[in-house]
Amino acid sequence: MTIAMTPALTTRTLTTRWQGTGFANQIGILTGRSLRALVGNPKLMIFSVLQPLIMLLLFSQVFSGIAGTGGFPPGVSYIDYLMPAILVTTGVGAALQSGIGLVTDMKNGVLARLRSLPINPSSVLVARSVADLIRTALQLVILLVAAVVLFGFSPAGGVLGVFPAFLLALAVSWSLSWVFLAIASWLRNAETMQTVGFLAMFPLMFASSAFVPIDGLPTWLRVVATINPLTYAVDASRHLALAMPVGSGVVGALLASAGLLTVGVVAAIRGFRRPLAA
Amino acid sequence: MNDNMIEVDGVGKTFDDVTALDDVSLTVPRGTVLGLLGHNGAGKTTLVNVLTTMLPPTTGSARVAGFDVVARAREVRGRIGLTGQFAAVDEDLSGTDNLVLIARLLGASKREARARADELLDVFDLSDAASRLARTYSGGMRRRLDLAASLVGRPDVIFLDEPTTGLDPVSRLGLWEIVENLVGDGTTVLLTTQYLDEADRLADAITVLADGRVVASGTAAELKAQVGRRAVHVTLAAATDAPAAMTSLERAGLQPVRDEPHNAVTTPVHASADLAVVVRALDDAGVEVAELALTEPSLDDVYLALAKQKIAA
Repeated sequence: MTIAMTPALTTRTLTTRWQGTGFANQIGILTGRSLRALVGNPKLMIFSVLQPLIMLLLFSQVFSGIAGTGGFPPGVSYIDYLMPAILVTTGVGAALQSGIGLVTDMKNGVLARLRSLPINPSSVLVARSVADLIRTALQLVILLVAAVVLFGFSPAGGVLGVFPAFLLALAVSWSLSWVFLAIASWLRNAETMQTVGFLAMFPLMFASSAFVPIDGLPTWLRVVATINPLTYAVDASRHLALAMPVGSGVVGALLASAGLLTVGVVAAIRGFRRPLAA
Repeated sequence: MNDNMIEVDGVGKTFDDVTALDDVSLTVPRGTVLGLLGHNGAGKTTLVNVLTTMLPPTTGSARVAGFDVVARAREVRGRIGLTGQFAAVDEDLSGTDNLVLIARLLGASKREARARADELLDVFDLSDAASRLARTYSGGMRRRLDLAASLVGRPDVIFLDEPTTGLDPVSRLGLWEIVENLVGDGTTVLLTTQYLDEADRLADAITVLADGRVVASGTAAELKAQVGRRAVHVTLAAATDAPAAMTSLERAGLQPVRDEPHNAVTTPVHASADLAVVVRALDDAGVEVAELALTEPSLDDVYLALAKQKIAA
């Protein structure tokens, strides 16, 4: 490597000094960066859709027999029952990925580089959550199309019911992504992050109304499912998609999401402001 | 504004019970290179982190480019470049996109950012790989991209934290050239290293850190004079020759030390001319030599010499 002597390295007289761009610009640029990485590495997107697709395939086959049994809404096919729940659980999984993505940036030094720039560190968090929201929306749309085309998903609510269910899943996902960003900002360790996520996700998903009606669960699990916040999100999404009476479930799910969002944002920004190096 | 681009005044940093930095003071005049020499754990990276506003100091204060690193952190960050021990490049972005990202965040327009990226890729010999994802880059290419990223904003002060660790000798020389060019341009550089020869080649002044404290500072020549001497290391062809070699070297006025396990004799020398004295003495004794080497003082020697001075004092 021979480096020719050149004024390009540092000459300051040619340009006025760049002193950092505004907060909104920072968010826009950093969001673009995350989305560009997604385009540059489409495998990530494919894998993130593959997992819920496999779940959809497996569960729709394994549990198809329970349609029409106790506690099951009459006249509803299992795929129509399952898909609104898959929207929510996929959103929850995507939220976990937000946290993991942040920890990865910490590990490979990208965050150290960003933090040496004259920008507001919070813009890094906001950008990641916005980029992940867009990614999740894309993921859910692909899933919905696949469910309709491959599995014959056609809920009673139609597009007018599925669309609000989709928005609800996104709202839940976005608020939870801030919770995971907060956890990532404090833990700062990819392995721990994976473990925490895994430990939190599986009981949340299975001890809920996501795959079978609560009434079909053993008593102890039913108690857990009743206090599991995911049950309410899943029920709300399902009621919207299946055109069932919505009641206060949707409002409850949105309020809970707003609460989580607030806590998550405050905790994430505080955790993230702590010095990177130790 | 005075002409010291880095001023560190009694900086201390403790983590819980561990003292990482203890009353460190130093200054770096504009357009010079300070070599911060020390082993792992000596506090080099902690000091770089304090000066780049990543860590607030527990005690003392520091100014970079005239701005306090705590109170005016943002102004400091607008004037510095940082290249850490590990190449901080975004693997999912191309070389160009990595640099454009930094330029845009600094406030450049899209067109300016692109121009600056192209310019730097050209300087760092990365133009051919500009549109490839950084994950496909070799270690040396990553380092160059990382260094390019820290120069996007035409910083006044550059921090290079062990920039040549893990680089092959050719890339290492290339990086040294870049640093020399930067300094020729009037940039101020703080360079941390574990290698005395690197500090020797690049630094106008050297500060030695050990256990978070400044244990020595001066020019490379001054430090070497403190350490004292180079040594000649003689590996003997036959172990039985050792006593004869020792006697002959002592007679020549040297103070040889026997290195039994390696079947060798080591003797400190004052000047390169002493090398001839050693060879002649061995020849006179009829000793057959398997290998003969002149060793420069290493960082270890600096540390040992400083430790001895501390005990003596």
